[in-house]
Amino acid sequence: MSILKTFDNIFDPKTVAIVGASEEKGTVGFGLASNLIKGSKKRNIYFVNPFDKEIFGEQAYDKVTDIKGKIDLVVIAVPAKIVLQIVKDCISKKVGGVIIVSSGFGELGEDGKKKENEIVKLLRTAKIPLIGPNCLGVLNSRVDFNASFAPISPLKGNIAFLSQSGALLNSLMDTMNAQGLGFSKLVSYGNEADLDLSDFLLYLKDDKDTKVICLYIEGIKDGHKFMEIAKEVTLKKPILVIKSGRSSAGQKAAATHTGSIAGDYQVYETAFKQSGVVLVETLEDLFDSAKALVMQPRCTNGIGIVTNGGGAGVLTVDYCDIEGVVLPEINEEDIKKIDKRGVLNSIPVKRNPLDLIGDALPDRYCAGINAFLAQEKIQGLIVIETTQIMTEPLENAKIIIEMKKKYPKKPIVCCFLGGDLVVEATKLLEKNDIPNYSELRRAVRAIKNLIKNEHE
Amino acid sequence: MEILSFEETKKLLAKYKIPHCETEIFNFSDKALVFAKKIGFPVVLKIHSRTIFHKSEIGGVKANIQNEEEFMKAWNQINENTKGRNIEGILVQEMLSGKEIAMGMKKDEQFGPVLMFGLGGIFIEVLKDVSFRIAPIDKAEAIKMIKEIKGYKILEGYRTGEDVNVSKIADILVNLSKMSMKEEYIIGMDLNPVIVNKDYAKLADFRIII
Repeated sequence: MSILKTFDNIFDPKTVAIVGASEEKGTVGFGLASNLIKGSKKRNIYFVNPFDKEIFGEQAYDKVTDIKGKIDLVVIAVPAKIVLQIVKDCISKKVGGVIIVSSGFGELGEDGKKKENEIVKLLRTAKIPLIGPNCLGVLNSRVDFNASFAPISPLKGNIAFLSQSGALLNSLMDTMNAQGLGFSKLVSYGNEADLDLSDFLLYLKDDKDTKVICLYIEGIKDGHKFMEIAKEVTLKKPILVIKSGRSSAGQKAAATHTGSIAGDYQVYETAFKQSGVVLVETLEDLFDSAKALVMQPRCTNGIGIVTNGGGAGVLTVDYCDIEGVVLPEINEEDIKKIDKRGVLNSIPVKRNPLDLIGDALPDRYCAGINAFLAQEKIQGLIVIETTQIMTEPLENAKIIIEMKKKYPKKPIVCCFLGGDLVVEATKLLEKNDIPNYSELRRAVRAIKNLIKNEHE
Repeated sequence: MEILSFEETKKLLAKYKIPHCETEIFNFSDKALVFAKKIGFPVVLKIHSRTIFHKSEIGGVKANIQNEEEFMKAWNQINENTKGRNIEGILVQEMLSGKEIAMGMKKDEQFGPVLMFGLGGIFIEVLKDVSFRIAPIDKAEAIKMIKEIKGYKILEGYRTGEDVNVSKIADILVNLSKMSMKEEYIIGMDLNPVIVNKDYAKLADFRIII
């Protein structure tokens, strides 16, 4: 079976069976069942639980093999010791794919690993793909498919998230929902006993719904396979990664001096860099960059800053220097050529960063942004707004949205500094796919990750 | 885990065209002295052992030996310092002049051989100014790796005006990459220092771990 067909069964099955489905609130079986029935009505959902006659008013089957007709996907959420028997049933039923949510396998050590290997061997012989064990499940928001026991459903969007941790994924969904950002696909891949991280990456490469891929990684099973596939994927779409396990790096006794310097984290850092994967340090960076990447086009290194506050502008210049963001020089002549009406005549210094001065009204923002984006050497723009007595945040936001339409290929990120005074404006910006950040450095980091690296 | 024997190390370096200083291993001082005279003073004496990882700390290294008299004194002293230890012999090496750099490899469980490059001495020990690449790498990648370290300006001849042959350093890195990928029994390498100048890059101290 081709990898695409395999993944179609997993991400958009026509029929799904949940083994261990339950009506008892707070259980994994309840979470899975209720998330699945909330999804697309076109999908047939079967409940398997020998202890129940009915679940949510539907017939409950004793075994997978009792269900009539073809089953595309089976989600298994029963205690580890009976998983093997369920897997055998799945094989005789010739199901399309299996997700084992249950824990109690490889993550526990040698004994668990043995059980896991036995299951993988059987499924591979039967050519049935497996996700997990020890995972939260998968989601495909476009087709309203949620085969996970997550407490909430994500919004539809273009960010894919692959996570080794299920718990983290739950919190991320909540955070993203609060920010109005949506996901295309979510996978908690657990122990990756069969399908591994790289397999999912390869699938997402050609997934039309996915613009950005985010990863949370603790470790990678096959380093060379990952690098090879990641190199291929990052030519098409960006991959952002957050990697845990930094602090223990290099503390183990190593065979060589080189070994003691090259800790695990450094090795991962190197592998990511060589394959075009962007490593971020914090979850905040991950969201901020994903937001920018999903809303804005990418560009080459050459960024302009337009601000109505001198201090904010200088701070931003400092952050750009730290992050390696290049600020091309712009002079008075460059600006005069574009600002024919002379709207900017009243500002004393015309350069990058362009300080429109605190009393800037929307017309000055309009002229300044236009004068910068018209320059060939400016590839992207950071627009900063501090709230002065005469500032009009909402009008400025509208201007930025218009300017974005005029220069669709050049990304704009905003930092409207403030709270209540700017909230309406920043909502409008983001509704129109212009990301806003509440802090200057966050805006700089976000635009930095829009800049293509030499690998691309 | 042990250090590869001197003869096998030399063979391996030759096989992968990795240049090193003139060096031979001896058990007796008379033949060693003949070799020292042949390559010319000053020379370096150091032990080679499959089990001793820190040879200078036990007094197993004497550098900058200027003549026959100093040679005999150093020879005897090394023998005295390493008495009762399992050593393969004493190396006689030519003294090279140039800048010191360091290279290394460690085999990672997930990613295989990882190559390291940095400036020698305190730059690597204290400042950890090094760059890494997962093997295999080509020459373009090796050059990027060299230019990536903060101390690259020093190799370019900052203030001294003496630059080094970056292309020759890159050649060694590429050959180390080949060797690491092919000779799967090697689990690590420390090549520190490697001496570089305008004309060449040569290994002055090497240790291959199997």
